[in-house]
Amino acid sequence: MSVEFIGNDEKIKSELLTVNMGPQHPATHGVLRVEIKTDSEIVAEAIPHIGYLHRCMEKHCENADYRAIVPFVDRMDYLASMNMELGYAITIEKLASIAVPRRAEVIRVLVSELQRIASHLVAFGTYGIDIGAFTPFLYAFDQREKIISFFESISGGRLLYNYISIGGVSRDVSNDLIVGLEKFCAGFEDQLKMYDTLLTQNKIFIERTANVGVMDKDYCYDYGITGPVLRGAGVEWDLRKKKPYSIYNEFNFEVAVGKGLKGCVGDCWDRYYVRMVEMEQSVKIIKQALVKLREEGGEFTTKVPRVIKVPVGEIYMRTECPKGELGYHIISDGKKGPYRFKVKSPCFTNVSALGEIAPGMMIADLVATIGSLDIVLGEVDR
Amino acid sequence: MTTQTDGQLTVKKYFTNIWDAVSSISKGMAITMGYVLKEKEVTLQYPEEKETLPKGTRMRLYNDVDDCIGCKACATACPVGCITIATEKRAVDAPEKKSSKGTAIKFDLTQYTIDKALCCFCGNCTTVCPTECLFHTTEFEYSTYNVQDLKIDYLSDEARSWKEKALKDRL
Repeated sequence: MSVEFIGNDEKIKSELLTVNMGPQHPATHGVLRVEIKTDSEIVAEAIPHIGYLHRCMEKHCENADYRAIVPFVDRMDYLASMNMELGYAITIEKLASIAVPRRAEVIRVLVSELQRIASHLVAFGTYGIDIGAFTPFLYAFDQREKIISFFESISGGRLLYNYISIGGVSRDVSNDLIVGLEKFCAGFEDQLKMYDTLLTQNKIFIERTANVGVMDKDYCYDYGITGPVLRGAGVEWDLRKKKPYSIYNEFNFEVAVGKGLKGCVGDCWDRYYVRMVEMEQSVKIIKQALVKLREEGGEFTTKVPRVIKVPVGEIYMRTECPKGELGYHIISDGKKGPYRFKVKSPCFTNVSALGEIAPGMMIADLVATIGSLDIVLGEVDR
Repeated sequence: MTTQTDGQLTVKKYFTNIWDAVSSISKGMAITMGYVLKEKEVTLQYPEEKETLPKGTRMRLYNDVDDCIGCKACATACPVGCITIATEKRAVDAPEKKSSKGTAIKFDLTQYTIDKALCCFCGNCTTVCPTECLFHTTEFEYSTYNVQDLKIDYLSDEARSWKEKALKDRL
Protein backbone atom coordinates (compact mmCIF):
# COMPACT_ATOMS: atom_id res chain seq x y z
CA MET A 1 0.00 0.00 0.00
CA SER A 2 1.09 3.56 -0.53
CA VAL A 3 2.14 5.55 2.47
CA GLU A 4 1.84 9.32 2.65
CA PHE A 5 4.82 10.80 4.37
CA ILE A 6 4.47 13.82 6.56
CA GLY A 7 7.55 15.59 5.31
CA ASN A 8 7.39 16.22 1.58
CA ASP A 9 10.36 18.51 1.76
CA GLU A 10 13.28 16.82 0.03
CA LYS A 11 15.71 18.10 2.62
CA ILE A 12 13.87 16.29 5.40
CA LYS A 13 14.17 12.63 4.76
CA SER A 14 11.21 10.78 6.26
CA GLU A 15 10.88 7.08 6.67
CA LEU A 16 8.71 4.61 8.48
CA LEU A 17 9.63 3.87 12.07
CA THR A 18 9.55 0.25 13.18
CA VAL A 19 8.16 -0.27 16.65
CA ASN A 20 7.90 -3.60 18.40
CA MET A 21 4.72 -3.93 20.39
CA GLY A 22 5.30 -6.89 22.66
CA PRO A 23 6.20 -9.63 23.48
CA GLN A 24 6.15 -7.95 26.89
CA HIS A 25 3.32 -5.49 26.50
CA PRO A 26 0.18 -5.31 28.64
CA ALA A 27 -2.13 -4.77 25.66
CA THR A 28 -1.07 -7.83 23.68
CA HIS A 29 -2.62 -10.22 26.21
CA GLY A 30 0.35 -12.48 26.61
CA VAL A 31 3.43 -12.84 24.49
CA LEU A 32 2.23 -11.67 21.09
CA ARG A 33 4.71 -9.46 19.28
CA VAL A 34 3.32 -7.07 16.71
CA GLU A 35 5.94 -5.50 14.51
CA ILE A 36 4.47 -2.13 13.58
CA LYS A 37 5.78 0.19 10.90
CA THR A 38 4.50 3.57 11.95
CA ASP A 39 4.08 6.85 10.19
CA SER A 40 3.79 9.07 13.26
CA GLU A 41 0.61 7.79 14.98
CA ILE A 42 -0.68 5.93 11.93
CA VAL A 43 0.08 2.25 11.46
CA ALA A 44 1.41 1.57 7.97
CA GLU A 45 1.98 -2.12 8.47
CA ALA A 46 1.50 -4.52 11.33
CA ILE A 47 2.93 -8.03 11.32
CA PRO A 48 1.95 -10.33 14.19
CA HIS A 49 4.79 -12.60 15.29
CA ILE A 50 3.84 -15.65 17.27
CA GLY A 51 5.68 -18.59 18.79
CA TYR A 52 6.84 -17.22 22.14
CA LEU A 53 4.68 -19.69 24.04
CA HIS A 54 5.25 -22.73 21.85
CA ARG A 55 5.42 -25.81 24.07
CA CYS A 56 5.35 -28.66 21.52
CA MET A 57 1.96 -29.60 22.90
CA GLU A 58 0.92 -31.66 19.88
CA LYS A 59 4.11 -33.71 19.95
CA HIS A 60 3.80 -34.24 23.69
CA CYS A 61 0.28 -35.58 23.16
CA GLU A 62 1.49 -38.06 20.55
CA ASN A 63 3.81 -39.55 23.17
CA ALA A 64 1.21 -39.76 25.93
CA ASP A 65 -1.68 -42.17 26.29
CA TYR A 66 -5.26 -40.99 25.75
CA ARG A 67 -5.94 -40.30 29.42
CA ALA A 68 -2.71 -38.42 30.01
CA ILE A 69 -3.54 -36.00 27.17
CA VAL A 70 -6.29 -34.25 29.16
CA PRO A 71 -3.82 -32.26 31.34
CA PHE A 72 -2.03 -31.16 28.16
CA VAL A 73 -5.15 -29.85 26.41
CA ASP A 74 -5.98 -27.98 29.64
CA ARG A 75 -2.91 -25.88 29.15
CA MET A 76 -3.83 -24.68 25.66
CA ASP A 77 -6.43 -22.06 26.44
CA TYR A 78 -5.79 -21.69 30.15
CA LEU A 79 -8.75 -19.32 30.52
CA ALA A 80 -11.19 -21.90 29.17
CA SER A 81 -9.78 -25.26 30.24
CA MET A 82 -13.18 -26.90 30.60
CA ASN A 83 -14.10 -26.22 26.98
CA MET A 84 -10.76 -27.60 25.82
CA GLU A 85 -11.36 -30.79 27.81
CA LEU A 86 -14.92 -31.13 26.57
CA GLY A 87 -13.83 -30.94 22.93
CA TYR A 88 -11.12 -33.54 23.47
CA ALA A 89 -13.34 -35.89 25.47
CA ILE A 90 -16.17 -35.96 22.92
CA THR A 91 -13.66 -36.52 20.11
CA ILE A 92 -12.20 -39.61 21.74
CA GLU A 93 -15.62 -40.85 22.86
CA LYS A 94 -16.86 -40.69 19.29
CA LEU A 95 -13.78 -42.44 17.93
CA ALA A 96 -13.85 -45.19 20.57
CA SER A 97 -17.69 -45.30 20.76
CA ILE A 98 -17.91 -44.74 24.50
CA ALA A 99 -21.37 -43.88 25.83
CA VAL A 100 -21.60 -41.08 28.38
CA PRO A 101 -24.21 -41.11 31.19
CA ARG A 102 -26.83 -38.37 31.07
CA ARG A 103 -25.85 -36.80 34.37
CA ALA A 104 -22.31 -36.43 33.09
CA GLU A 105 -23.60 -34.72 29.93
CA VAL A 106 -25.58 -32.21 32.02
CA ILE A 107 -22.59 -31.51 34.25
CA ARG A 108 -20.43 -31.03 31.15
CA VAL A 109 -22.79 -28.45 29.68
CA LEU A 110 -23.00 -26.73 33.07
CA VAL A 111 -19.26 -26.43 33.57
CA SER A 112 -18.50 -25.43 30.00
CA GLU A 113 -21.08 -22.63 30.12
CA LEU A 114 -19.70 -21.44 33.45
CA GLN A 115 -16.27 -21.50 31.88
CA ARG A 116 -17.58 -19.47 28.94
CA ILE A 117 -18.76 -16.80 31.37
CA ALA A 118 -15.40 -16.86 33.18
CA SER A 119 -13.53 -16.51 29.90
CA HIS A 120 -15.75 -13.68 28.66
CA LEU A 121 -15.38 -11.92 32.01
CA VAL A 122 -11.61 -11.88 31.52
CA ALA A 123 -12.13 -10.60 27.98
CA PHE A 124 -14.48 -7.90 29.24
CA GLY A 125 -12.25 -6.86 32.12
CA THR A 126 -9.00 -6.73 30.20
CA TYR A 127 -10.66 -4.97 27.29
CA GLY A 128 -11.67 -2.24 29.71
CA ILE A 129 -8.03 -1.92 30.79
CA ASP A 130 -6.90 -1.71 27.16
CA ILE A 131 -9.32 1.14 26.55
CA GLY A 132 -8.43 2.89 29.80
CA ALA A 133 -11.12 1.85 32.28
CA PHE A 134 -9.61 -0.06 35.16
CA THR A 135 -12.62 -0.48 37.45
CA PRO A 136 -14.68 -3.01 35.37
CA PHE A 137 -11.73 -5.40 35.55
CA LEU A 138 -12.03 -5.62 39.34
CA TYR A 139 -15.76 -6.28 39.23
CA ALA A 140 -15.28 -8.90 36.50
CA PHE A 141 -12.66 -10.73 38.52
CA ASP A 142 -14.87 -10.57 41.61
CA GLN A 143 -17.50 -12.57 39.72
CA ARG A 144 -14.95 -14.83 38.05
CA GLU A 145 -13.61 -15.73 41.47
CA LYS A 146 -17.00 -17.22 42.36
CA ILE A 147 -16.93 -19.45 39.28
CA ILE A 148 -13.32 -20.42 39.94
CA SER A 149 -14.07 -21.38 43.55
CA PHE A 150 -16.94 -23.55 42.32
CA PHE A 151 -14.54 -25.28 39.94
CA GLU A 152 -12.04 -25.60 42.78
CA SER A 153 -14.52 -27.46 44.93
CA ILE A 154 -15.63 -29.83 42.17
CA SER A 155 -12.29 -30.54 40.52
CA GLY A 156 -9.54 -29.52 42.93
CA GLY A 157 -7.84 -27.06 40.61
CA ARG A 158 -8.35 -23.35 40.16
CA LEU A 159 -7.20 -22.93 36.58
CA LEU A 160 -6.24 -26.31 35.11
CA TYR A 161 -9.01 -28.65 36.14
CA ASN A 162 -8.50 -32.07 34.51
CA TYR A 163 -12.18 -32.49 35.36
CA ILE A 164 -13.87 -33.79 32.20
CA SER A 165 -12.42 -37.23 31.66
CA ILE A 166 -13.09 -39.65 28.84
CA GLY A 167 -16.40 -41.33 29.66
CA GLY A 168 -17.82 -38.68 31.99
CA VAL A 169 -16.54 -36.32 34.61
CA SER A 170 -14.12 -37.08 37.44
CA ARG A 171 -16.24 -36.00 40.44
CA ASP A 172 -19.91 -35.47 41.13
CA VAL A 173 -21.57 -32.10 41.84
CA SER A 174 -23.18 -32.06 45.27
CA ASN A 175 -26.53 -30.44 46.07
CA ASP A 176 -24.94 -27.72 48.21
CA LEU A 177 -22.95 -26.56 45.21
CA ILE A 178 -26.11 -26.49 43.06
CA VAL A 179 -27.76 -24.18 45.60
CA GLY A 180 -24.65 -21.99 45.54
CA LEU A 181 -24.77 -21.80 41.75
CA GLU A 182 -28.45 -20.81 41.74
CA LYS A 183 -27.55 -17.91 44.01
CA PHE A 184 -24.68 -16.98 41.73
CA CYS A 185 -26.96 -16.96 38.65
CA ALA A 186 -29.44 -14.61 40.32
CA GLY A 187 -26.69 -12.24 41.40
CA PHE A 188 -24.88 -12.36 38.09
CA GLU A 189 -27.83 -11.07 36.10
CA ASP A 190 -27.78 -7.87 38.16
CA GLN A 191 -24.05 -7.67 37.63
CA LEU A 192 -24.52 -7.84 33.85
CA LYS A 193 -26.87 -4.86 34.02
CA MET A 194 -24.26 -3.04 36.05
CA TYR A 195 -21.57 -3.77 33.45
CA ASP A 196 -23.90 -2.28 30.87
CA THR A 197 -24.02 1.10 32.62
CA LEU A 198 -20.41 0.91 33.73
CA LEU A 199 -18.71 0.22 30.41
CA THR A 200 -20.96 -0.77 27.51
CA GLN A 201 -22.94 2.48 27.41
CA ASN A 202 -20.02 4.67 28.44
CA LYS A 203 -19.56 7.45 25.89
CA ILE A 204 -15.77 7.36 25.94
CA PHE A 205 -15.79 3.59 25.52
CA ILE A 206 -18.16 3.86 22.54
CA GLU A 207 -16.00 6.55 20.95
CA ARG A 208 -12.94 4.35 21.31
CA THR A 209 -14.51 1.17 19.90
CA ALA A 210 -17.36 2.02 17.52
CA ASN A 211 -16.29 2.09 13.84
CA VAL A 212 -12.84 0.83 14.80
CA GLY A 213 -11.27 -2.32 13.36
CA VAL A 214 -14.21 -3.21 11.18
CA MET A 215 -14.24 -6.84 10.01
CA ASP A 216 -17.17 -7.46 7.72
CA LYS A 217 -18.76 -10.75 6.80
CA ASP A 218 -16.69 -11.47 3.69
CA TYR A 219 -13.46 -10.62 5.45
CA CYS A 220 -14.30 -13.12 8.22
CA TYR A 221 -15.15 -15.81 5.65
CA ASP A 222 -11.85 -15.21 3.84
CA TYR A 223 -9.78 -15.71 6.95
CA GLY A 224 -11.87 -18.51 8.45
CA ILE A 225 -12.63 -16.47 11.53
CA THR A 226 -15.01 -18.05 14.02
CA GLY A 227 -16.57 -17.37 17.39
CA PRO A 228 -17.63 -13.99 18.76
CA VAL A 229 -15.60 -12.19 16.08
CA LEU A 230 -17.63 -13.86 13.30
CA ARG A 231 -20.90 -13.35 15.16
CA GLY A 232 -19.91 -9.72 15.70
CA ALA A 233 -19.83 -9.37 11.91
CA GLY A 234 -23.52 -10.27 11.81
CA VAL A 235 -23.27 -13.96 10.94
CA GLU A 236 -25.50 -16.21 12.99
CA TRP A 237 -23.11 -19.14 13.30
CA ASP A 238 -22.85 -21.00 16.56
CA LEU A 239 -21.98 -24.70 16.63
CA ARG A 240 -24.06 -25.17 19.76
CA LYS A 241 -27.08 -24.27 17.63
CA LYS A 242 -26.06 -25.27 14.10
CA LYS A 243 -24.32 -28.58 14.77
CA PRO A 244 -25.22 -29.45 18.37
CA TYR A 245 -22.75 -31.62 20.25
CA SER A 246 -23.19 -33.11 23.73
CA ILE A 247 -26.82 -32.31 24.71
CA TYR A 248 -26.95 -28.69 23.58
CA ASN A 249 -29.98 -29.39 21.39
CA GLU A 250 -32.10 -29.72 24.55
CA PHE A 251 -31.35 -26.21 25.75
CA ASN A 252 -33.19 -23.08 24.85
CA PHE A 253 -31.00 -20.10 24.09
CA GLU A 254 -30.38 -17.48 21.45
CA VAL A 255 -27.30 -16.79 19.37
CA ALA A 256 -25.85 -13.34 19.95
CA VAL A 257 -25.24 -11.42 16.72
CA GLY A 258 -23.63 -8.04 16.16
CA LYS A 259 -26.08 -5.51 14.76
CA GLY A 260 -23.96 -2.39 14.57
CA LEU A 261 -25.89 -0.58 17.28
CA LYS A 262 -23.24 2.09 17.89
CA GLY A 263 -21.36 2.11 14.60
CA CYS A 264 -21.19 -0.20 11.63
CA VAL A 265 -21.61 -3.98 11.77
CA GLY A 266 -18.43 -5.84 12.71
CA ASP A 267 -16.61 -3.14 14.64
CA CYS A 268 -14.85 -3.59 17.98
CA TRP A 269 -17.96 -2.54 19.93
CA ASP A 270 -20.03 -5.23 18.21
CA ARG A 271 -17.52 -7.96 19.00
CA TYR A 272 -17.43 -6.78 22.59
CA TYR A 273 -21.22 -6.64 22.78
CA VAL A 274 -21.62 -10.17 21.40
CA ARG A 275 -19.62 -11.43 24.38
CA MET A 276 -21.83 -9.54 26.81
CA VAL A 277 -25.00 -11.00 25.29
CA GLU A 278 -23.40 -14.44 25.24
CA MET A 279 -22.83 -14.25 28.99
CA GLU A 280 -26.52 -13.48 29.42
CA GLN A 281 -27.43 -16.51 27.28
CA SER A 282 -24.95 -18.71 29.17
CA VAL A 283 -26.71 -17.84 32.44
CA LYS A 284 -29.93 -18.96 30.76
CA ILE A 285 -28.36 -22.30 29.81
CA ILE A 286 -26.89 -22.76 33.31
CA LYS A 287 -30.31 -22.23 34.90
CA GLN A 288 -31.82 -24.92 32.66
CA ALA A 289 -28.88 -27.23 33.34
CA LEU A 290 -29.32 -26.83 37.11
CA VAL A 291 -32.98 -27.86 36.83
CA LYS A 292 -31.94 -30.89 34.77
CA LEU A 293 -29.18 -31.73 37.24
CA ARG A 294 -31.64 -31.87 40.14
CA GLU A 295 -33.82 -34.29 38.17
CA GLU A 296 -31.10 -36.53 36.78
CA GLY A 297 -29.76 -39.15 39.11
CA GLY A 298 -27.40 -41.93 38.28
CA GLU A 299 -23.74 -42.22 37.52
CA PHE A 300 -21.46 -39.34 36.64
CA THR A 301 -19.05 -41.48 34.66
CA THR A 302 -18.94 -44.78 32.81
CA LYS A 303 -16.39 -47.41 33.69
CA VAL A 304 -13.53 -46.91 31.29
CA PRO A 305 -10.51 -49.24 31.24
CA ARG A 306 -7.26 -47.85 32.60
CA VAL A 307 -5.72 -47.89 29.13
CA ILE A 308 -8.35 -46.81 26.63
CA LYS A 309 -8.54 -48.93 23.51
CA VAL A 310 -9.16 -46.73 20.49
CA PRO A 311 -9.68 -48.45 17.14
CA VAL A 312 -7.65 -47.53 14.06
CA GLY A 313 -9.23 -44.50 12.46
CA GLU A 314 -9.26 -40.79 11.91
CA ILE A 315 -11.62 -38.15 13.30
CA TYR A 316 -12.19 -34.44 13.25
CA MET A 317 -14.57 -32.91 15.78
CA ARG A 318 -15.19 -29.27 16.52
CA THR A 319 -16.81 -27.52 19.42
CA GLU A 320 -17.77 -23.95 20.18
CA CYS A 321 -15.27 -22.52 22.64
CA PRO A 322 -15.45 -19.02 24.13
CA LYS A 323 -12.94 -17.83 21.54
CA GLY A 324 -14.33 -19.69 18.54
CA GLU A 325 -14.40 -23.10 16.96
CA LEU A 326 -11.89 -25.52 18.37
CA GLY A 327 -11.24 -28.62 16.30
CA TYR A 328 -9.36 -31.78 17.16
CA HIS A 329 -7.97 -33.91 14.36
CA ILE A 330 -6.84 -37.23 15.76
CA ILE A 331 -5.40 -40.17 13.85
CA SER A 332 -5.27 -43.40 15.78
CA ASP A 333 -3.16 -46.41 14.82
CA GLY A 334 -4.63 -48.61 17.53
CA LYS A 335 -1.79 -48.08 20.00
CA LYS A 336 -2.13 -46.55 23.47
CA GLY A 337 -1.63 -42.99 22.22
CA PRO A 338 -2.62 -41.09 19.07
CA TYR A 339 -0.47 -41.35 15.95
CA ARG A 340 -1.16 -37.73 15.03
CA PHE A 341 -2.70 -35.04 17.15
CA LYS A 342 -3.64 -31.76 15.51
CA VAL A 343 -5.55 -28.86 16.98
CA LYS A 344 -7.38 -26.25 14.94
CA SER A 345 -7.13 -23.23 17.16
CA PRO A 346 -9.64 -20.37 16.88
CA CYS A 347 -7.25 -17.73 18.24
CA PHE A 348 -4.63 -18.58 15.63
CA THR A 349 -6.99 -17.77 12.75
CA ASN A 350 -8.26 -14.67 14.55
CA VAL A 351 -4.81 -13.23 15.12
CA SER A 352 -3.80 -13.94 11.51
CA ALA A 353 -6.46 -11.48 10.35
CA LEU A 354 -4.81 -8.65 12.24
CA GLY A 355 -2.17 -7.91 9.61
CA GLU A 356 -4.58 -6.90 6.88
CA ILE A 357 -6.93 -4.86 9.04
CA ALA A 358 -4.26 -2.79 10.77
CA PRO A 359 -2.92 -0.43 8.04
CA GLY A 360 -4.38 3.04 8.36
CA MET A 361 -5.28 2.73 12.02
CA MET A 362 -3.97 4.72 14.93
CA ILE A 363 -1.76 2.74 17.31
CA ALA A 364 -4.36 3.15 20.06
CA ASP A 365 -7.00 1.66 17.74
CA LEU A 366 -4.73 -1.31 17.10
CA VAL A 367 -4.70 -1.94 20.85
CA ALA A 368 -8.50 -1.79 20.84
CA THR A 369 -8.65 -4.24 17.92
CA ILE A 370 -6.28 -6.77 19.49
CA GLY A 371 -8.31 -6.61 22.70
CA SER A 372 -11.58 -7.17 20.86
CA LEU A 373 -10.21 -10.30 19.13
CA ASP A 374 -9.71 -11.81 22.61
CA ILE A 375 -6.72 -14.02 21.88
CA VAL A 376 -4.97 -16.35 24.28
CA LEU A 377 -1.41 -17.02 23.27
CA GLY A 378 -1.33 -20.42 24.91
CA GLU A 379 -3.79 -21.55 22.29
CA VAL A 380 -2.23 -19.70 19.36
CA ASP A 381 1.20 -21.28 19.87
CA ARG A 382 0.17 -24.52 21.61
CA MET B 1 -10.78 -0.78 6.39
CA THR B 2 -11.63 1.72 9.11
CA THR B 3 -14.60 3.82 8.09
CA GLN B 4 -15.84 6.94 9.74
CA THR B 5 -19.59 7.41 9.50
CA ASP B 6 -19.87 10.21 12.03
CA GLY B 7 -20.86 12.89 9.58
CA GLN B 8 -20.60 16.61 10.12
CA LEU B 9 -19.91 17.86 13.61
CA THR B 10 -22.45 20.51 14.48
CA VAL B 11 -22.49 22.78 17.51
CA LYS B 12 -25.45 20.87 18.91
CA LYS B 13 -23.72 17.53 18.46
CA TYR B 14 -20.56 18.91 20.06
CA PHE B 15 -22.40 19.75 23.25
CA THR B 16 -24.50 16.54 23.26
CA ASN B 17 -21.27 14.54 23.05
CA ILE B 18 -19.89 16.36 26.09
CA TRP B 19 -23.16 15.85 27.96
CA ASP B 20 -23.24 12.14 27.05
CA ALA B 21 -19.68 11.64 28.24
CA VAL B 22 -20.22 13.47 31.53
CA SER B 23 -23.51 11.75 32.31
CA SER B 24 -22.34 8.22 31.41
CA ILE B 25 -19.16 8.65 33.45
CA SER B 26 -21.08 9.94 36.44
CA LYS B 27 -23.42 6.93 36.21
CA GLY B 28 -20.36 4.67 36.32
CA MET B 29 -18.85 6.65 39.20
CA ALA B 30 -22.11 6.28 41.14
CA ILE B 31 -21.78 2.49 40.87
CA THR B 32 -18.18 2.65 42.04
CA MET B 33 -19.10 4.89 44.98
CA GLY B 34 -21.85 2.44 45.89
CA TYR B 35 -19.23 -0.28 46.09
CA VAL B 36 -16.96 1.87 48.25
CA LEU B 37 -19.72 2.37 50.81
CA LYS B 38 -21.44 -1.03 50.68
CA GLU B 39 -18.85 -3.70 50.07
CA LYS B 40 -16.65 -5.11 52.79
CA GLU B 41 -12.93 -5.61 52.53
CA VAL B 42 -12.06 -8.79 50.63
CA THR B 43 -8.25 -8.81 50.82
CA LEU B 44 -6.72 -11.50 53.01
CA GLN B 45 -3.52 -10.54 54.83
CA TYR B 46 -1.89 -13.74 53.65
CA PRO B 47 0.72 -15.01 56.09
CA GLU B 48 -1.45 -13.98 59.05
CA GLU B 49 -4.83 -14.95 57.59
CA LYS B 50 -5.26 -18.03 55.49
CA GLU B 51 -8.07 -19.23 53.28
CA THR B 52 -9.28 -22.73 54.03
CA LEU B 53 -9.07 -24.73 50.83
CA PRO B 54 -11.97 -27.04 49.95
CA LYS B 55 -11.47 -30.75 50.47
CA GLY B 56 -9.93 -32.40 47.47
CA THR B 57 -7.87 -29.42 46.32
CA ARG B 58 -4.93 -30.76 44.36
CA MET B 59 -1.82 -29.65 46.26
CA ARG B 60 1.14 -31.71 47.51
CA LEU B 61 0.77 -35.44 46.95
CA TYR B 62 0.95 -37.81 49.86
CA ASN B 63 1.56 -41.53 49.63
CA ASP B 64 0.78 -43.79 52.55
CA VAL B 65 3.68 -46.17 51.88
CA ASP B 66 2.45 -48.82 54.33
CA ASP B 67 -0.68 -49.19 52.21
CA CYS B 68 1.05 -49.10 48.81
CA ILE B 69 1.13 -52.38 46.89
CA GLY B 70 3.82 -51.22 44.45
CA CYS B 71 1.72 -51.76 41.33
CA LYS B 72 3.31 -48.78 39.52
CA ALA B 73 -0.05 -47.70 38.07
CA CYS B 74 0.60 -44.12 39.19
CA ALA B 75 4.00 -43.99 37.50
CA THR B 76 2.45 -45.25 34.23
CA ALA B 77 -0.46 -42.81 34.37
CA CYS B 78 1.71 -39.77 35.07
CA PRO B 79 1.91 -37.58 31.94
CA VAL B 80 5.25 -36.04 32.92
CA GLY B 81 6.88 -39.07 34.52
CA CYS B 82 7.73 -37.55 37.90
CA ILE B 83 7.08 -40.69 39.97
CA THR B 84 9.94 -43.14 40.51
CA ILE B 85 9.18 -46.48 42.12
CA ALA B 86 11.49 -49.38 42.84
CA THR B 87 10.17 -52.61 44.32
CA GLU B 88 11.56 -55.85 45.61
CA LYS B 89 9.64 -59.10 45.62
CA ARG B 90 8.62 -60.14 49.13
CA ALA B 91 10.25 -63.28 50.41
CA VAL B 92 8.00 -66.37 50.41
CA ASP B 93 8.47 -66.99 54.13
CA ALA B 94 7.84 -63.34 55.10
CA PRO B 95 4.66 -62.66 57.13
CA GLU B 96 1.59 -61.91 55.02
CA LYS B 97 0.80 -58.22 54.61
CA LYS B 98 -2.44 -56.74 53.36
CA SER B 99 -3.46 -53.24 52.33
CA SER B 100 -6.44 -51.46 53.91
CA LYS B 101 -8.60 -52.65 50.98
CA GLY B 102 -7.63 -56.26 51.50
CA THR B 103 -5.23 -56.63 48.58
CA ALA B 104 -2.22 -58.77 49.38
CA ILE B 105 1.05 -56.84 49.26
CA LYS B 106 3.47 -58.92 47.23
CA PHE B 107 6.13 -56.27 46.67
CA ASP B 108 8.15 -54.26 49.15
CA LEU B 109 8.94 -50.68 48.23
CA THR B 110 12.60 -49.82 48.16
CA GLN B 111 12.09 -46.39 46.63
CA TYR B 112 9.08 -44.12 46.22
CA THR B 113 10.05 -40.65 45.05
CA ILE B 114 7.93 -37.91 43.52
CA ASP B 115 9.65 -34.92 41.96
CA LYS B 116 7.30 -32.11 42.94
CA ALA B 117 9.21 -29.69 40.75
CA LEU B 118 8.16 -31.74 37.70
CA CYS B 119 4.65 -32.60 38.87
CA CYS B 120 1.81 -30.91 36.95
CA PHE B 121 -0.83 -31.50 39.67
CA CYS B 122 -3.26 -33.16 37.26
CA GLY B 123 -4.34 -35.91 39.65
CA ASN B 124 -4.18 -38.73 37.08
CA CYS B 125 -2.06 -40.81 39.46
CA THR B 126 -4.62 -40.59 42.26
CA THR B 127 -7.55 -41.74 40.10
CA VAL B 128 -5.77 -44.94 39.00
CA CYS B 129 -4.47 -45.91 42.47
CA PRO B 130 -6.20 -49.23 43.40
CA THR B 131 -5.72 -48.89 47.17
CA GLU B 132 -6.27 -45.10 47.24
CA CYS B 133 -3.07 -44.71 49.21
CA LEU B 134 -1.85 -41.92 46.93
CA PHE B 135 -3.83 -38.69 47.16
CA HIS B 136 -3.52 -34.93 47.06
CA THR B 137 -3.41 -32.95 50.29
CA THR B 138 -4.26 -29.28 50.80
CA GLU B 139 -0.69 -28.53 51.92
CA PHE B 140 0.79 -25.92 49.59
CA GLU B 141 3.48 -24.15 51.63
CA TYR B 142 6.54 -26.26 50.90
CA SER B 143 8.85 -24.06 48.85
CA THR B 144 12.55 -24.78 49.24
CA TYR B 145 15.81 -23.00 48.53
CA ASN B 146 17.13 -25.89 46.50
CA VAL B 147 15.16 -27.51 43.66
CA GLN B 148 16.62 -30.90 44.59
CA ASP B 149 14.79 -30.72 47.93
CA LEU B 150 11.47 -30.92 46.08
CA LYS B 151 12.19 -34.56 45.28
CA ILE B 152 10.15 -36.07 48.05
CA ASP B 153 11.14 -39.50 49.32
CA TYR B 154 7.97 -40.93 50.85
CA LEU B 155 9.87 -43.68 52.67
CA SER B 156 11.77 -41.11 54.75
CA ASP B 157 10.80 -40.33 58.33
CA GLU B 158 9.97 -36.73 57.45
CA ALA B 159 7.37 -37.75 54.85
CA ARG B 160 5.93 -40.37 57.19
CA SER B 161 5.38 -37.71 59.84
CA TRP B 162 2.86 -35.93 57.52
CA LYS B 163 0.53 -38.93 57.71
CA GLU B 164 -1.87 -37.77 60.40
CA LYS B 165 -2.44 -34.36 58.84
CA ALA B 166 -2.62 -35.74 55.31
CA LEU B 167 -5.27 -38.37 56.04
CA LYS B 168 -7.70 -35.60 57.01
CA ASP B 169 -7.54 -34.28 53.43
CA ARG B 170 -8.39 -37.58 51.81
CA LEU B 171 -11.66 -37.45 49.88
